[in-house]
Amino acid sequence: MATNKVAAKRKLEKAVINEKANGSTSLTSDNESEDEDLLQTISDNDSTDGEDQDLSDEDSDGYVESIEGDSNEEDASGEEDESGDEDESGDEEEGTDDSEAEDEEGTDESDLEWESDEEESADEEPADSKLNEAKTSSNGKLGGKFKIDKVKGDKIKDTGAPKGPSKSPAEDKSSSDIVKGSESNSDEALQGKSEPPADEYAAGDTSDEEDIRNTVGNIPMNWYDEYPHIGYDSEGKRIMRPKTGDTLDQFLKRMEDPNFFRTVKDPQTGQEVVLSDRDVELIKRLQSGKIPDASFDDTAPWVEYFTSDVMKTPLRKFPEHKKSFLPSKSEAARVSKYVHHLKMGWMKTRQQRAEERQKKREKNFYMLWGTDDNASEEMRRIHNHLPAPKRLLPGHAESYNPPAEYLFDEREMRQWESMADTPHKRKLHFLPQKYSSLRAVPAYSRYIRERFLRCLDLYMCPRAMKMKLAIQPEDLLPKLPSPKDLQPFPTTLAVVYEGHTDMVRTISLDMKGQFLISGSDDCTVKVWEVATGRCMRTINVGGTVRSVCWCPNQSLSLVAVAADRKLLLINPGVGDNLVVAKTDALLKEIPEESSAVPERVKTAVQWEQGNEEEWSYGIRVVVTHFKEIKQVTWHGRGDYFSSVMPEGANRSVLIHQLSKRRSQVPFSRSKGLVQCVLFHPIQPMLFVATQRHIRVYDLLKQKMTKKLETFAKWISSIAIHPNGDNILVGTYDRKMLWFDLDLSTEPYKALRLHGTAVRGVAFHKRYPLFASASDDRSVIVSHGMVYNDLLKNPLIVPLKRLAYHDSNNDFGVFDVIFHPTQPWVFSAGADKTVRLYS
Amino acid sequence: MASEQGSGQGQVQIRFSTKQEQYAVPDIPFAVPSGITPAELNTLLNQLLSENRTDISTPVDFDFIVCKEFLIQPLNELLEERNISSEEVVDVEYVEQHPTPEPMDCLMHDDWVSAVQVRNGWILTGCYDNTLHLWTKSGTHHLTIPGHSGPVKAVAWVSLTPTVGSFVSVSHDQTAMLWKWNIEENSVDCIHVCRGHERSLECVSVNHNSTLMATGGWDTLLKIWTTSMRETVAVPAQSTGDSDESDAKRAKLELKSHIKTPIMTLKGHKEAISSVVWTDTQELATASWDHTLRLWDGELGGIKTEIAGNKPFFDMSYSALNGTVVTASADRHIRLYDLRSTEGSLVKSMFTSHTKWVQSVKWSTTDEHLFLSGAHDSQVLLWDSRSPKAPLYNLEGHDDKVMCCDWSNPKYMVSGGADKTVRIFKSRNAPNKNEEGMDD
Repeated sequence: MATNKVAAKRKLEKAVINEKANGSTSLTSDNESEDEDLLQTISDNDSTDGEDQDLSDEDSDGYVESIEGDSNEEDASGEEDESGDEDESGDEEEGTDDSEAEDEEGTDESDLEWESDEEESADEEPADSKLNEAKTSSNGKLGGKFKIDKVKGDKIKDTGAPKGPSKSPAEDKSSSDIVKGSESNSDEALQGKSEPPADEYAAGDTSDEEDIRNTVGNIPMNWYDEYPHIGYDSEGKRIMRPKTGDTLDQFLKRMEDPNFFRTVKDPQTGQEVVLSDRDVELIKRLQSGKIPDASFDDTAPWVEYFTSDVMKTPLRKFPEHKKSFLPSKSEAARVSKYVHHLKMGWMKTRQQRAEERQKKREKNFYMLWGTDDNASEEMRRIHNHLPAPKRLLPGHAESYNPPAEYLFDEREMRQWESMADTPHKRKLHFLPQKYSSLRAVPAYSRYIRERFLRCLDLYMCPRAMKMKLAIQPEDLLPKLPSPKDLQPFPTTLAVVYEGHTDMVRTISLDMKGQFLISGSDDCTVKVWEVATGRCMRTINVGGTVRSVCWCPNQSLSLVAVAADRKLLLINPGVGDNLVVAKTDALLKEIPEESSAVPERVKTAVQWEQGNEEEWSYGIRVVVTHFKEIKQVTWHGRGDYFSSVMPEGANRSVLIHQLSKRRSQVPFSRSKGLVQCVLFHPIQPMLFVATQRHIRVYDLLKQKMTKKLETFAKWISSIAIHPNGDNILVGTYDRKMLWFDLDLSTEPYKALRLHGTAVRGVAFHKRYPLFASASDDRSVIVSHGMVYNDLLKNPLIVPLKRLAYHDSNNDFGVFDVIFHPTQPWVFSAGADKTVRLYS
Repeated sequence: MASEQGSGQGQVQIRFSTKQEQYAVPDIPFAVPSGITPAELNTLLNQLLSENRTDISTPVDFDFIVCKEFLIQPLNELLEERNISSEEVVDVEYVEQHPTPEPMDCLMHDDWVSAVQVRNGWILTGCYDNTLHLWTKSGTHHLTIPGHSGPVKAVAWVSLTPTVGSFVSVSHDQTAMLWKWNIEENSVDCIHVCRGHERSLECVSVNHNSTLMATGGWDTLLKIWTTSMRETVAVPAQSTGDSDESDAKRAKLELKSHIKTPIMTLKGHKEAISSVVWTDTQELATASWDHTLRLWDGELGGIKTEIAGNKPFFDMSYSALNGTVVTASADRHIRLYDLRSTEGSLVKSMFTSHTKWVQSVKWSTTDEHLFLSGAHDSQVLLWDSRSPKAPLYNLEGHDDKVMCCDWSNPKYMVSGGADKTVRIFKSRNAPNKNEEGMDD
């Protein structure tokens, strides 16, 4: 409402200014002081003449009523008038702004004139009613403005005819008081005002031109105070200062003239002007800080021609300027400047300043006894320093005059002396002594030494905390897959092959896996049916059997048996009858010796056909060696086989050819005690294991290609992976070595799974399994996966320990071999049995 | 009474049912302590029977079947195992306990007995000393039949009439021999020597109408032969039991007997065929060391189904009564397969009680639930297929590996082993069983 009011006021002022521009305003005086005087005079009039005021009040009330009906504000103002000056001054104070006050003054001037024009017509009903109509017909500000115009128009229309009669009393009054000379002027002024409007407009004059009879212009009129005239009229003649009456006149006027209180002096003309009721009303309203126009309804409902709501799409022709979307650069620069200042500490936030103030206000404390220990530790750059233990404070025993119980008795003294060699073990590091007085105490003889030791201790023993790494031993072990995921592998004892009467040293399987042959110390070889454990045949070979090997050629039914110095080729007579018969037929024919056998070979080996008796047992060919044969092994094709005589010096390895029945000595020089030899399953290569090394020979080029370093003391056996790239070596010093031939000549892994000598190792042909046999009676089956990817190292996981054999004479298991198709493993033990695990 | 007992444990409602009508009891639920044992159930049931039936005077022993499984532990344990609420009424089926087999006889041999088959009153055994033996059911040795040059691995009766019988034997010597036995003259002739296998034979099976036989062996081939016999000049075989037969005589014998060749050779297995059975007139099932069971079409000669196990199979037996096979493999479990079902797990149930390799299994010909098994742990066990955890009986007697067992005659359970004996147990069938096949 308040804003509405103010806005309404502004509108009104605008309207007044418009009128001014139209020339309807003719008030000449801009002098504030005079205005104030004017008001003062009014108020003076008020205060002096109560009755008059009442009258005027009534009039004004009536007037107001006639225009607006009853209004509380009007009543209030009327009542307030009685309270006098204070109220007025209070009203003036209510104006908030200077400008508002000025505005009020401005309006005062214009309205003053304007009202004075109409003072006679105020009573006239038609104009009022018209006013009312206009007011009722229009609402709001614009209506208000319009209304004012209308009022003016009405006023202008009305001025013509009824003016004459209504003016006469005023004329009378003025003429009666005013000096003649000036009377004409005032008359003129009044007359001019009351000139018929038709003339006026016909002359093209505006009313303010008429009004300005004094041509001095808008100057402070006190300039003319010293002169008898107050200016010049349009013809250049002086306008003489009208005679102001003396005090008596004044008094008389006041007493007699009922309009005295509304009579003001026009400073420009010096004439006295009687304000109309309407003027008075206006002044009163201004004084009480109300809108001058009583007819203006400042509480009219507000019509929003332009909405105050913020619209999504504003009713604007042009789009927002690009600037409004871009962050201001100057602002950014300023912000960055502030930030920089904050950072540098030149500028401080309010909080910081508050804190500083707080700090300043707080009391300051200082470490009186803050030792330089901490500082020195920092200087020494010892982190996590542990200070040296503090010396104990001296006790009673250290007193120069200790109580008797602290002094050593004899026993304690003996104890003290007995620990002379180990003084650090003594309870006290001094002898409590008693002196009669402090004066008698001698200088402490150990002082310097103890100080020195203490300094040494502090200096030499920086007591820093040591960081310990907690590594669990389990963390260092590689992550191995669970054995459960690596099935199948042999887990339990399935079949026991019993029948040998002495240690079984060696076993071999036929290619189908149906039969098993075993050689024993009881000078026999036995052929077994794998599935049932049935001994199919027993052949006496007349010597300790150290090695048996089934011929890998499937079209032959032949086993090479090493019995002492004889190498026997035996047809076990099991399997395909046709093959058995063919083998016999083949071996019956003795091939002609193609060339002369060198002497070196001749003295080492003699080939013989098995005699009649031997033939009936199954022995077909006997190859007699000059030393005990330890091992015999077949080449993958089944034509060549090799025998090893460790004691044969430079002829310890022999290679025999079955089809031609001849032998050769491949090596001319002894490289050491040859333990065993092995043919590569695919390539023409021969592995020769001496006590500590394995040499790899290329059989085509007839030269050594590699020498594998085992770092073992004594090799017992070797086995080769069916792919031929990995070799397993068992050693008598408990180790099992895995060589990756592609990787290195040194072992890829050394497995120490057994407690005693490893006697046999074996690879499975199909499954990724390998096994080792040891004198600790156990066979250990491990997972040994070899990947085709060259970058991936073989995965080795020990799976199962099978310890079913009994120990005999410190021997455990001699040989181990896998079934060719099933995940089964056989072991030959010193307990005269062969065992199958599935 | 029951409530006093069941103070510590809950009660469970059970309802008795049976398929044996002579032991039927009223269909009323009983509340019993949930921890009731089979023995207590038996007492309860006998009490019921004595109350309801007048014709049963002596107590009968029953086995109880809950959830298709024999009850051997307290009832609540089984219910917990199977997640069955004890709120519901539990159906308890009871059957008369299979009577205890009686040890009857022990037939002593000279060597390991690797094959045995009973037909009517005659027991045919095959031995590792290359001979066949014929025994009467009473345990008297009737004939020793030499002829093979390798251990006999399997035998099978082809036909048997009161006057003449015929049988087939397979051996390590890569042949199957078809023998004709004139009972009246007591002479056995080798009518046919079936040649064709390249390695030792493992198994033989004669089809239901005795027209065909199938053999399998280490050459991985399955061969089908006819059993028809062409009459040849009857040469009486030496029935002296003299094992040292000269090669000439054997050659002569072979020369005289007609050589038979297979009518069909079925290739497919990768390793030795260890067992073959006819499941239908033209359908065979084989078990092999290559971990597979295969179903073959005997007419067209193709593989019908293949079931992969994870152990080499040693033996299998097919039951026409329930259409399933039990297998013995290179571990201690007996597995039950349904060859015809393809969905679900292939192994329907697993019977574990043996401690070593199971070597031989044989279904009963009359009871769809019973079968025999023999293993390397020298045990012969009688199983009920509804009791996978424990066998019904342990037929004790052998003291070495059991190599073979047979139950072709429902009356006799026969097993042979590495202790060179054949043990005969008399199976006293339940009274309701017909005395079928006891025609001698």
